[in-house]
Amino acid sequence: MIQMNKTMRDLLTLLALSTVLGISAQAVLPNGIGLKTEITIVGDDSTGVAVPSVSINPSGDDAAASNISLINAHSAYETNSALFFDARNPEDYKSGHIRRAINLPVHAFLDSLAYLESLNPDRHIITYCDGEDCNASIDLAADLKMMGFSQVNFFFGGWQEWRDAGYPVVSHP
Amino acid sequence: MRSSFDNFLESQYGEWFTRSIQIGLGLLFIYASLDKIWNPGLFAKSISNYRLLPLPLLHISAIILPWLEFTCGIALIINRYQRAANIVIGGLLLVFILAIFSAMARGLDFNCGCFSVDSEESNVGLLKILQNTGLLLSAALIEYRMKVIQPKS
Repeated sequence: MIQMNKTMRDLLTLLALSTVLGISAQAVLPNGIGLKTEITIVGDDSTGVAVPSVSINPSGDDAAASNISLINAHSAYETNSALFFDARNPEDYKSGHIRRAINLPVHAFLDSLAYLESLNPDRHIITYCDGEDCNASIDLAADLKMMGFSQVNFFFGGWQEWRDAGYPVVSHP
Repeated sequence: MRSSFDNFLESQYGEWFTRSIQIGLGLLFIYASLDKIWNPGLFAKSISNYRLLPLPLLHISAIILPWLEFTCGIALIINRYQRAANIVIGGLLLVFILAIFSAMARGLDFNCGCFSVDSEESNVGLLKILQNTGLLLSAALIEYRMKVIQPKS
């Protein structure tokens, strides 16, 4: 019993110490974040989805990437004025994707730095993933903004909305 | 009834053996915490990928968890608060394993955020579960030895 009490006391000590260190460190670290998770609603008012807007680099460009509607995304596609990045994994991309879209899985973002650095930072970029059930497009858009691209939108309707609208795709079912 | 393994754990060699594992586990957790401590925002993003935690808890978890790994790692190395630290580390590993299982079951594919927050980190998958299970067994062995030597101490 004495041993258990001591272990419990030690547990609380470690937890308290970690909490104090963690909170204090946020004031000192260059990449420190606030205690409160900022939440952004993306999509329109009725079907909006809450996603965390994690501040990756608070000292960088704060203007977050914004959502683009199906109509505007399609218009950018038709005029060939934007690059489309598919943020899903390669298997999903291979099974079907927006025509001319480039596969850039969000978890492999750093693998694509050499290619991204070759692009004009003012180039309009539209990211997408499966649809409203995924956040990869938002994450990729945030990474691209952090890298310095000025015109980045995420197309939250994603692959599902684009395909359902009958717009150009490359499909290998 | 003591087994020969219990006798080994009680011996000087058993102590060295478990102390080495304890120090190794401590060093590993300190290493795993550093990148997350430096980049709490990216770590919050890693946690959000699992879609398990309520959104309001994301930042506070990303702030405290890496420091908990760090302090527990130090505790294991300096052999102070070691039982509590070992229990925390075992608990964290169990949570990580369940979270990876859950992400795999839901078909999610992302880097696990286990040892760092960059995309070089391998994705959630069976290998990550095996790694974490190995570490969990190490923590269990340390706890078991404490139990074996307890009556004499």
